[in-house]
Amino acid sequence: MRFHFILILSIFLFACSTEKDTKRDDIKIVRLKYWCSANPQEIELAKKLVDKWNKLHPDIQVEVQPLPAGQSSEEVLLAAIAAKTTPDICSNIWPGAVSEYIKAGGLVKLNEFEDFDSIVNLRKIPHSLLESFRSNDGNFYQFPWKTNPVMMLYNVKILKSAGLHNPPQNYSEFFNACEKIKKDINGDGITDIWPGYTDTRPIWWQRFFDFYPFYIASSGGKTFFENGILKIDTASAINAFNFFKICFQKGYFPNTNFQTDPFLTGKVAIRFTGPWTIAYLEKNKPADLEYSFAPIPVPNNYKGETYTYGDPKNIAIFSTTKHKKEAWEFVKFLVSDSSDLALLEICNQLPIRGDLLENKIFAVYFERNPKMKSFAKQVSYIRGVDEVPEMKEIFDAISKEFEACSIYGVKTPESAMKNLIKRINTILEWAK
Amino acid sequence: MVSPYVIYFLVFVAYPLTFSFILIFHRWNIVTPMEFIGLKNFIRLFRDETFFKSIINTLIFLSIHIPLQIAVALFFAQLLNKKIKLRGLFRSIYFLPVVVSGVVVTVLWQQMYAYETGLINQILLKFGFKKIPWLVSPKFAMPSIAIMATWKNVGLYIVLFLAGLQNIPRELYEVAEIDGASSFQKFLKITLPMLNPTIVLVVVLSTIGGFSLFIEPYIMTGGGPMDSTLSAMLYIYNQAFYFNHMGYAATLGFFFATIIFLVVILQRKFIERDVY
Repeated sequence: MRFHFILILSIFLFACSTEKDTKRDDIKIVRLKYWCSANPQEIELAKKLVDKWNKLHPDIQVEVQPLPAGQSSEEVLLAAIAAKTTPDICSNIWPGAVSEYIKAGGLVKLNEFEDFDSIVNLRKIPHSLLESFRSNDGNFYQFPWKTNPVMMLYNVKILKSAGLHNPPQNYSEFFNACEKIKKDINGDGITDIWPGYTDTRPIWWQRFFDFYPFYIASSGGKTFFENGILKIDTASAINAFNFFKICFQKGYFPNTNFQTDPFLTGKVAIRFTGPWTIAYLEKNKPADLEYSFAPIPVPNNYKGETYTYGDPKNIAIFSTTKHKKEAWEFVKFLVSDSSDLALLEICNQLPIRGDLLENKIFAVYFERNPKMKSFAKQVSYIRGVDEVPEMKEIFDAISKEFEACSIYGVKTPESAMKNLIKRINTILEWAK
Repeated sequence: MVSPYVIYFLVFVAYPLTFSFILIFHRWNIVTPMEFIGLKNFIRLFRDETFFKSIINTLIFLSIHIPLQIAVALFFAQLLNKKIKLRGLFRSIYFLPVVVSGVVVTVLWQQMYAYETGLINQILLKFGFKKIPWLVSPKFAMPSIAIMATWKNVGLYIVLFLAGLQNIPRELYEVAEIDGASSFQKFLKITLPMLNPTIVLVVVLSTIGGFSLFIEPYIMTGGGPMDSTLSAMLYIYNQAFYFNHMGYAATLGFFFATIIFLVVILQRKFIERDVY
């Protein structure tokens, strides 16, 4: 009995030990915890990078852990901030949630590190894109890391068989293409080939694949807020509502869901999606499926580069860390050239940098993966979401107006826009 | 020694209820400290058209689901109460949907209801009928969900009605036969009145189950089209777990619970009868 008591007490005291940093000979080892995204490719990437780092830095050892399971990584991180169980570093920070993390005092200001500017400059990030990640208080709490630009995926053969040798670039070309693509092959009244498809459920994040990229493209890279003040480009929002309204009203897009992937089965010619689709298509496509990517269509009178929603995910250091400098050193490693190459090779996701196609380090990768070149060109012209705590509720309001106006045609785009602004102002008012 | 039930009650009932009640007067998003805002959540509630629409949607669901549930369950219970071959097998088959996961059933029916490619519309087209916009029309979406929910749960209520039917004394039917009563008269004058306690139970259970409508609109429609399938529970869930408005969600929850309580009391007052 006494022996069991001593054994249990010993185990208990050992488990209660909170000594994280240990000494080995004369070196004090700093231990950091790093959370990566929970998808298999990013776990593989994180493990490789951490193994490499740990070999190079015996005094700073990193332990990698996939983000704990939850409805979304934002909820998991919020819960971790509330419970003060955040890691030292996390590389799955959605810009839309950063303001909540800042409000909770959960993040470290990265621009306070002396070499922050030089590290950013090495990546040649376009100034306007970099500024979109600056918080309203003028500081950077997130380091731009990776992007998955939303672009137009199209079935090359279906377009060719409709007499189209190039993908449509503006709205008129798109609608003309739709007229030629839409087919009822056997005359039974059921459309066999749909020009396009988007998920019509009114879930707030679905709009990242239809309304929002088209709004960003039409507005030349504007989001909804400037310095925390609502400044929607109403003409561009109306353009986006109207584009999809025409698509649904003219029967170019179906209001349905499919049992199998309609793009893979050749039922749909065009979708709006990101580079993660390439790995999925390569694994599952039939032998004769030929596909490519093009920028989001823009209004007929639009001039300039085509912007899109980039779904950026960034890196942050949490304020619970006891080793800010060491954590920053690890962040610099995560955004180094060799780590960016690993991100491309293992995950087929793009680092946020402006020299992807010019930098020789990535040349071999893009030779082997020519489809990724379209996305690489797009990287300099992406936008994320505004750093406003109510972004999810704002996108929920957009979803409702999108549904009423574009899918069911019961409102005009102008009326939808008016309701949307009223609703957003109500949301912001309640948040005060 | 404290009773285990007392510990359970304090931890899982009393504490959460009390905390939720306190939340009603606060704004809280989990990560920042709770902010006292007095009655602002109630002011917001009474201006929230979407919440009241969600309550009406839930009532529409109940107005279709409960009568349908009772009619279908009673019909099949009567059939299964007769001495037929393989009666045990049929009873098991009808109960099967009850034990299948709600998520699985919802996903399957979502595919069957698909407007362009769903099985139901394909069958309708084969027989020369037009496709029905089951989940993509504000008019049809909630009735479609009610039909699916009835199919899912009817097995449980068949069992309850079967038990009720088997408790009706056979002598009552024998006396009625001697007096020349028809099958319909026996059903109306004997079966229904004697089944009243079971009917009340089915109505109350269906009501409580119906008020917690969540999985079906969450998976099938996201609350659309145009909020026509947005149930009160889904709306409260979105406020709490999508938008992190914990205080407001708690307010909605208490308000909705009060409505459920009142409805159940009214149901018992108007439906329950003494059975002699």
